[in-house]
Amino acid sequence: MEKSSTLLIHFDKGTPALANEIKEALEGNDVPFKIEAMKKAIMLLLNGETLPQLFITIVRYVLPSEDHTIQKLLLLYLEIIDKTDSRGKVLPEMILICQNLRNNLQHPNEYIRGVTLRFLCRLNETEIIEPLIPSVLANLEHRHPFIRRNAILAVMSIYKLPQGDQLLVDAPEMIEKVLSSEQDPSAKRNAFLMLFTCAQDRAVNYLLTHVESIPEWGELLQMVVLELIRKVCRTNRGEKGKYIKIIISLLNAPSSAVIYECAGTLVSLSSAPTAIRAAANTYCQLLLSQSDNNVKLILLDRLNELKSSHREIMVDMIMDVLRALSSPNLDIRRKTLDIALELITPRNIDEVVLTLKKEVVKTQSTELEKNGEYRQMLVQAIHTCAIKFPEVASTVVHLLMDFLGDSNVASAIDVVVFVREIIETNPKLRVSIITRLLDTFYQIRAARVCSCALWIIAEYCLSLSEVESGIATIKQCLGDLPFYTVSEEGDALDAPKRSQQVNSITVSSRRPAVLADGTYATQSAASETALSTPTLVQGSLASPGNLRSLILTGEFFLGAVIACSLTKLVLRLEEVQPSHVEVNKATSQALLIMVSMLQLGQSSVLPHPIDNDSYDRIVLCIRLLCNTGDEIRTIWLQSCRQSFVKMLADKQFRETEEIKAKAQISHAQPDDLIDFYHLKSRKGMSQLELEDEVQDDLKRATGEFTKDSDDANKLNRILQLTGFSDPVYAEAYVTVHHYDIVLDVTVINRTKETLQNLCLELATMGDLKLVERPQNYTLAPESSKQIRANIKVSSTETGVIFGNIVYETSNVLERTVVVLNDIHIDIMDYISPATCADVAFRTMWAEFEWENKVAVNTVINDEKEFLDHIIRSTNMKCLTAPSALDGECGFLAANLYAKSVFGEDALVNISVEKQTDGKLSGYIRIRSKTQGIALSLGDKITLKQKGGS
Amino acid sequence: MVVLAASVISKSGKALVSRQFVDMSRIRIEGLLAAFPKLVGTGRQHTYVETENVRYVYQPIESLYLLLVTNKQSNILEDLETLRLLSKLVPEYSPSLEEEGICKAAFELIFSFDEVISLGHRENVSVVQVKQYCEMDSHEERLHRLVMQSKINETKDIMKRKASEIDKSKIDRTRSEKGGYMSLQMTGSGRIESSFSEMSISSSSSGFGSGLGSEVETFSSKSKGRPSASATAPPKGLGMKLGKTQRTNQFLESLKAEGEVILEDVQPTAGQARAAAPPPTDPITLTVEEKLNVTLKRDGGLSNFDVQGTLLLQILNQEDAFIQVQIETGENAGVVFKTHPNINKDLFSSENILGLKDPNRPFPTGQAGDAAGVGLLRWRMQSVDESVVPLTINCWPSISGSETYVSIEYESSSMFDLQNVVISVPLPALREAPTVRQIDGEWRYDSRSSTLEWSILLIDGSNRSGSMEFVVPPADTSVFFPISVRFTATKTFSDLKIVNILPLRGGPSPKFSQRTQLIAENYQVV
Repeated sequence: MEKSSTLLIHFDKGTPALANEIKEALEGNDVPFKIEAMKKAIMLLLNGETLPQLFITIVRYVLPSEDHTIQKLLLLYLEIIDKTDSRGKVLPEMILICQNLRNNLQHPNEYIRGVTLRFLCRLNETEIIEPLIPSVLANLEHRHPFIRRNAILAVMSIYKLPQGDQLLVDAPEMIEKVLSSEQDPSAKRNAFLMLFTCAQDRAVNYLLTHVESIPEWGELLQMVVLELIRKVCRTNRGEKGKYIKIIISLLNAPSSAVIYECAGTLVSLSSAPTAIRAAANTYCQLLLSQSDNNVKLILLDRLNELKSSHREIMVDMIMDVLRALSSPNLDIRRKTLDIALELITPRNIDEVVLTLKKEVVKTQSTELEKNGEYRQMLVQAIHTCAIKFPEVASTVVHLLMDFLGDSNVASAIDVVVFVREIIETNPKLRVSIITRLLDTFYQIRAARVCSCALWIIAEYCLSLSEVESGIATIKQCLGDLPFYTVSEEGDALDAPKRSQQVNSITVSSRRPAVLADGTYATQSAASETALSTPTLVQGSLASPGNLRSLILTGEFFLGAVIACSLTKLVLRLEEVQPSHVEVNKATSQALLIMVSMLQLGQSSVLPHPIDNDSYDRIVLCIRLLCNTGDEIRTIWLQSCRQSFVKMLADKQFRETEEIKAKAQISHAQPDDLIDFYHLKSRKGMSQLELEDEVQDDLKRATGEFTKDSDDANKLNRILQLTGFSDPVYAEAYVTVHHYDIVLDVTVINRTKETLQNLCLELATMGDLKLVERPQNYTLAPESSKQIRANIKVSSTETGVIFGNIVYETSNVLERTVVVLNDIHIDIMDYISPATCADVAFRTMWAEFEWENKVAVNTVINDEKEFLDHIIRSTNMKCLTAPSALDGECGFLAANLYAKSVFGEDALVNISVEKQTDGKLSGYIRIRSKTQGIALSLGDKITLKQKGGS
Repeated sequence: MVVLAASVISKSGKALVSRQFVDMSRIRIEGLLAAFPKLVGTGRQHTYVETENVRYVYQPIESLYLLLVTNKQSNILEDLETLRLLSKLVPEYSPSLEEEGICKAAFELIFSFDEVISLGHRENVSVVQVKQYCEMDSHEERLHRLVMQSKINETKDIMKRKASEIDKSKIDRTRSEKGGYMSLQMTGSGRIESSFSEMSISSSSSGFGSGLGSEVETFSSKSKGRPSASATAPPKGLGMKLGKTQRTNQFLESLKAEGEVILEDVQPTAGQARAAAPPPTDPITLTVEEKLNVTLKRDGGLSNFDVQGTLLLQILNQEDAFIQVQIETGENAGVVFKTHPNINKDLFSSENILGLKDPNRPFPTGQAGDAAGVGLLRWRMQSVDESVVPLTINCWPSISGSETYVSIEYESSSMFDLQNVVISVPLPALREAPTVRQIDGEWRYDSRSSTLEWSILLIDGSNRSGSMEFVVPPADTSVFFPISVRFTATKTFSDLKIVNILPLRGGPSPKFSQRTQLIAENYQVV
């Protein structure tokens, strides 16, 4: 176990205090100077200096001081100095402080006594403590509760030391006596805590004899009682019956902290439905009564845990959980919805959907800034409900369609996607949805929503009247044709100018966007993200048609969608309209629209001409309408729908797969060992295995709990630092923990001389910091030494550690220096695969500042294989669905994602294309918030992408 | 429920001050603190972050974070409470809430953090209390210093005087060689010296000399009529003691004036009283003692009444041991007597004379140090009759607004004159003594055991009943029970008296002393 640290103080290296100055000040008589010097000495110690010469000065000049601050600082000083030598023996001079400590323990000032007792709690050296024990015990009886409180804790800490039970044989009895007469709540708590940790039987006894008065005890004591109950019941399951009553009585305690703890205890104690229900009820009540967001979130976490372990009980609580939606905080609402969505059953679905609907309506009536986002969440929630229980779709779909024109684009998109899915899965609702959609189409403002809605219209308008009104709606929204004519110049110039103004804003934020398949598309950020206000303003100003205004801002992709939709509608019209005249009329009108769009695209009115892709599609549509064929007809009228159905099926399939995978993880393997606690042999088990989960939790938190890794892997990480012919041979074994790197350096003296003052000097580059400087050693001829160095890491970045070994030999006065090999810290140790939603990936991609673009240069000839190779060598996760990567088409685009241990995101996009010569070309783009990751990951990829072997 | 560390860090993750409350390595805590700023998102409305192993609960203070690192099972409600308290403390101790200011106040912050969290557990303290703890202004210490100072001064005085005396005596010596009133001078200086030594004793023993007056002795008329040398011995000592107690009193008064609580009325318990009794000087001492065990109900009525009495005989010299004791018992019918097995029962029942079965054997004798002597007779009396109770207590706690008024009255029966009555009323744990509105007698508050002691030196015909009223913060009325009462009286229930001592071997009847007392051993109102 490493030395534990009890305090940290930032030390400014700018003003180095010399040991001599400190010494002088300490020897003086001036109290403020003495205080300053003590502070400096402590800070120097914290900074890794050892200052051994200062100790005697302090004993001589500081110990006798009467000043309270000096005494307190002295205790801090004693707390942090090394009290043992290298072999763990207490240094002889430490006995000098005992007398002072004893005086302090008998000091007339109660606070001096108190802080000294508190210091003793942190002292581990029995040799120092032993002579102080009588004084500590005397303080148990002191009049002042402040002293008794600390005295009890001191007794506890002493008793807990390795030989503590011999030092203080009757401590539990004493404390029990103290407990029975104690009045101060804090001291009482401490006394009970002492019994709890040191003599559990006594604590249980005391508890059981005072059952009646427990509800009147102080809050602090009640907390410890609960902790005790948990612990006792974990080791002794059979006894829990005795305690349930206590817990129930405490559930009515006035302190909410106690209630919270009670609920937790109940859950850990029993899995009986009543107990779980009581706990869940308590959590729900706290959820409503507590106003603090932190508390609410953590309560939701607890409920979530309950949900996964006792779903059937939580199902009944769903409405109580949903009440948390009243909080205005989005995180809370999201968590609440997440929990609720997993609890829906056929029985409660109606109620849940009703609540969600009410919430949606509420967001309409009140205008808060976060409403859009909240609405989106609700829409998604309703969407999920509708997928699980299709029968509810009919009740919500119309309500949701009101939000197609929502100014929050994301929520509008969610709605339209939802509608698209419902209309396919619920054929009964088709007619009503289409009618509604055609009615509300003019309200839609966002290009993406428009294109999706257009697709629905084109795909699901089946009857004659529907097709006709579909065409009419589109035409109406486009407004009068043409978009742009020479004669209308004055007027038209006006419109583009306006649009130009808008564009001048958007152009600046224009950046390449990634499409769902990972390719780049040029889109303006304004229409893409929530910045839809400019389009909206323009729509309301320029013309009645929303489509028209969108096209006039240069949305030619939408233009292409319009063209396709019209084509599809006209093709369908041919089927359902008996009159050829009408069909021809519609065809010619559609052609006119397409041609006008092309014309607009090629005119100089708009700053950007139409892109090739859209141009091609529109031209294709024109050609189709001019000469139709049966083959084309089937493709347009049937295959489209089929591929959509296939996509839905695939999505469904993937979801069920995921659920299955999840379900499998949570269950044990059939051939897993079952541990019977009572049959477990305690021999040969580490203390950690024996201890319960709470302690595990604490151990993990303090970092004591680290898993042993494979020994085989260890050998891969050995680095040779010096040459075999150097006088000192050194090699290091590098272990990377979360926040630190440990170097275990083995140093071997290869000469026949004794090396003195051998020192391993390390320096770092990058975001690394050496924690403590290693000591000096003396190395006998041909002997070896293990030196350990800790290096702190604070961000994900490739770092380099370099250094040298310095030593002296007896006959040469100069110091000899051996330069070490550099140690490179691999970034891969810090990042781990992670997943994030597609949308989140895109927002991060748009936000992050640092991009590193690496040209593909590899010997691998297969796109898929190359992707796998990159994934393997970068330890990232591929976000693109495998189905999207299927097939051979000569090009591939995929998104990779990983998270560092420090919570930083690393985004990678790979776009490769197979050249005619069979080689792969393309780019790998890495984006991150900080430069470090982008650079290091780029280096890594450049290094590894060659592949081959 | 454990706070691992309380820290103040800058937004960039520089740990300015951190206090750890459980054992953890430095690299670990530094790592945790350095990782924190990266975990904190912006624009969130909650102030905690959970990682795989720990939970951070934080609060931004200008450009810094105040941060608690806890384990994940920690009780969030408690931790928030702690954080709230700490966030109030930080501005108290650090004048400027910037990196530099915090660094300057680092040690003060650590001291204050220590007061709030002990070994990872929250203490129930307020900002004011923490400030008070950190100021470390102790009244007791001041007092201690004062006493030390006065001692030093005194010693200095003595030193001076001694020095001058020595000087003088030197001069005297030189003079006495010439002429001679040396002896006169010597006696003078000796007197001064002795008074000094007395002074120093009195100052060091503050609670001295109260148990002496408590023992009541009734000398029989015979011994009164014949004042012997041994009987006059105590007054000699008394004269000295008087002077001493006076000086002690002065010291106590001055201490009291300085605000110190002095336990002036140290009540002797039954055992102590006997031990403190002056050793019997009469050749034969007879002690009649009754111990009273009474439990009264708080709303009237008697749940237990029990008197146990003994007659003890103590004989100093073997020669006086061949005797018989003639006694006279009162009319109390409830008293049942039991004799020692060696006592001649017939003689007792017929003539009320206590003598040994074998008249040739003497009574056992014992030296003065031997506590009680030989028990000759025991008796017991039990009753359910309320009228025999010597002292009834009536306690009326009533809650009015934010205060509880407690009025207590006592009423004593006319049968007894009670001495040194102390009525102890348990109180809820208070920080300060309760306010006593009205009282017949003296009161004292014992903060250690949190009881209020009401003492009345003597209850006789002039004050058969009395009352007291005090005010405490609101409390449950059951807190004030059980009230326990201590007193002594010189009259007993049995009304047993020694009439005469009959010597068996002839001669005049030897002189004897008789003591009678009633002690309330366990007298409670529940």
